[in-house]
Amino acid sequence: MKTWSDIASIQPLAARMLTNSLAKQRVSHAYLFQGNRGTGKKAISMVLAKSIFCRHKNGQEPCHQCKDCQRIESGNHPDVHWIIPDGQSIKKEQILHLQKEFTYTGLESNQKVYIIEDAEKMTANASNRLLKFLEEPSKQTTAMLLTSNSQAILQTIRSRCQIMALKPLNPANLQKQLQEEGLSSSNARLISALTNNVTEALEIGHDDWFANARKIVVQLTEVLQSKPEEAMLFIHNQWMPHFKERQQMQRGLDLLLLWFKDIVYSFVDNEDAVIFINEKDKLSQASLHWSKQETTDALQRILEAKRKLEQNVHPALAMEQLTLHLKR
Amino acid sequence: MKFVIQRDELMNSVQHVMKAVSSRTTIPILTGIKVEAGEEGIKLTGSDSDISIESFIPKEEDGIVYVEQIEQGSVVLQAKYFPDIVRKLPEKTVEIEADNHLKVTIRSGGSEFHLNGQDAQEYPQLPQLHTEDSFELPTDLLKNLIKQTVFAVSTVETRPILTGVNMKVEEGHLNFIATDSHRLASRRIPLEEANSQVKFSSVVIPGKSLIELNKILEGSEDSIQISVTENQVLFRTKHLYFLSRLLDGNYPETSRLIPEQSKTVVHSATKELLQSIDRASLLAKESKNNVVRLMTKENNQVEISSNSPEVGNVTEEVAAQSIDGEELKISFSAKYMMDALKAVDNEQVRIEFTGAMRPFIIRPIDDDQILQLILPVRTY
Repeated sequence: MKTWSDIASIQPLAARMLTNSLAKQRVSHAYLFQGNRGTGKKAISMVLAKSIFCRHKNGQEPCHQCKDCQRIESGNHPDVHWIIPDGQSIKKEQILHLQKEFTYTGLESNQKVYIIEDAEKMTANASNRLLKFLEEPSKQTTAMLLTSNSQAILQTIRSRCQIMALKPLNPANLQKQLQEEGLSSSNARLISALTNNVTEALEIGHDDWFANARKIVVQLTEVLQSKPEEAMLFIHNQWMPHFKERQQMQRGLDLLLLWFKDIVYSFVDNEDAVIFINEKDKLSQASLHWSKQETTDALQRILEAKRKLEQNVHPALAMEQLTLHLKR
Repeated sequence: MKFVIQRDELMNSVQHVMKAVSSRTTIPILTGIKVEAGEEGIKLTGSDSDISIESFIPKEEDGIVYVEQIEQGSVVLQAKYFPDIVRKLPEKTVEIEADNHLKVTIRSGGSEFHLNGQDAQEYPQLPQLHTEDSFELPTDLLKNLIKQTVFAVSTVETRPILTGVNMKVEEGHLNFIATDSHRLASRRIPLEEANSQVKFSSVVIPGKSLIELNKILEGSEDSIQISVTENQVLFRTKHLYFLSRLLDGNYPETSRLIPEQSKTVVHSATKELLQSIDRASLLAKESKNNVVRLMTKENNQVEISSNSPEVGNVTEEVAAQSIDGEELKISFSAKYMMDALKAVDNEQVRIEFTGAMRPFIIRPIDDDQILQLILPVRTY
């Protein structure tokens, strides 16, 4: 997804709005692109930056060939600044650096662009600093904030940006694409529920770790149903050794979440939406074991565990608490 | 790209450009040094995006051949390894060759290094010279200009524009002005006729860049060419180009700050006054701006005193050449005063006061080029 026409096929509205404002030379001083993973936030900001700098534009389409375009692509353009989270968050120092950068004149041109990825990860300090020069942009500066959760961004920042909501992708498309690449239909369905990115999805699909993870999640639900007293043991012997990293743990919880969602779907007879299509027997058993109320409770508990993980709670503790709640 | 070069010359140039390379940069390509082989010789470039230094090694100079077998081309080499490699090579000559896949081979005597280079296309393009906007100065005069003003730039980022030195051409004079809003340092020199049609009017050069430039330049009578482009300023000596980005924004109008009349004028020997203020500042507390007090007395005596109740106090009388006008008691920061007196660069100074609550001016006697202005401190 590199050109405006590529983007227009996925995000027709955003592409149209941006190309029009480029054509009328009314590019806003700050944009907030919000959309889930894989909706093309980064691709859009890249193409927009290129369109701003490229000197050989064909209409609004940058040439992708010239020095400027290529250096934006490789991250070496001196007047395009990428801010990516340093560890868990975007720190004050990173914004400070940006601020200093903007008191200087541009290195090659008078035009400057800064792009903040995962903008919701800015610390409170960083957001307030950013606000300062988002408010008083120097001439010819364009800010682009990328986020998957615009509600987590300071209201004061949001109000100063032109918000571009990107359309969520249709998982069916991805599923089809994955099946064409040779994944089994059940896997394709599951993975397209987890990610929107084709390359990432294929990577997951060919990963043994993921196949095992899927098995362990299903096992856990069985243990919870049949032998709840052994659930703790299962967590420590099977679950924790497999989901070592925080990132992996999140993925495991995502799978668990999908499982309970499936139970809800089978309650409401929405069989088409079920994701674990290979495990229909187990699902119908599960729907006999869990009541509707219990399932929705479980969903909430899982979301809470996910949130705790993000807030640096010890993974083992978060997981233990979750199982205690689930087996009741 | 290929060339054979004298190692010492290369080392010298590499050391120059390394001063601009910083390991903490957000732009990956700037961790490298750009090596460019052209018909005339070899050009090295280093940059941290704020300042960029280019060093040129000519093919031959004064009959001495520095570079041979040039095949044109350019490549970016890792600044982390290249300088050390060059320093430790065994022979006097170095052969550097880059192939189409950006693999660089460095040969000297029996040793052979292979380095992975980066594409020179990725390197920032430095602006081309606009020679019509340039003027020349002797290098030591420029060093003086920097030394006499740059200490007064602001170190806090609350008003970023004040972290720079304002360079201005007005009525055939070149002005350097720096202020941190508590003090102001300025120097003004006449430009030669040949330089009088310079076009730019006012730019602000970051103080940090000027300090760096001052370190690199050797004091000599040779002239240095200064060119100003839209967003950069270039200082150019024979083989060394120093580029700095400018600060964006309007520099505050400072001419109105300088009082035109004065009520008390003190003439004094610079050194004696400086030393006595230095002594008085020993007891002045840093947390309270090193405040010292100056009081005019009869018989052309000036009393310098400082008092911090917990520590003790100091009083000293200095004989001035002359004191004209009203009596005066004034307090000011010893540090600012000492900086200003050091910058005056003359054995005699003239200090013009306009009351205890008004800024005062320090100038060398009979010379209007240097001006230092300090705001007093209010004490009760």
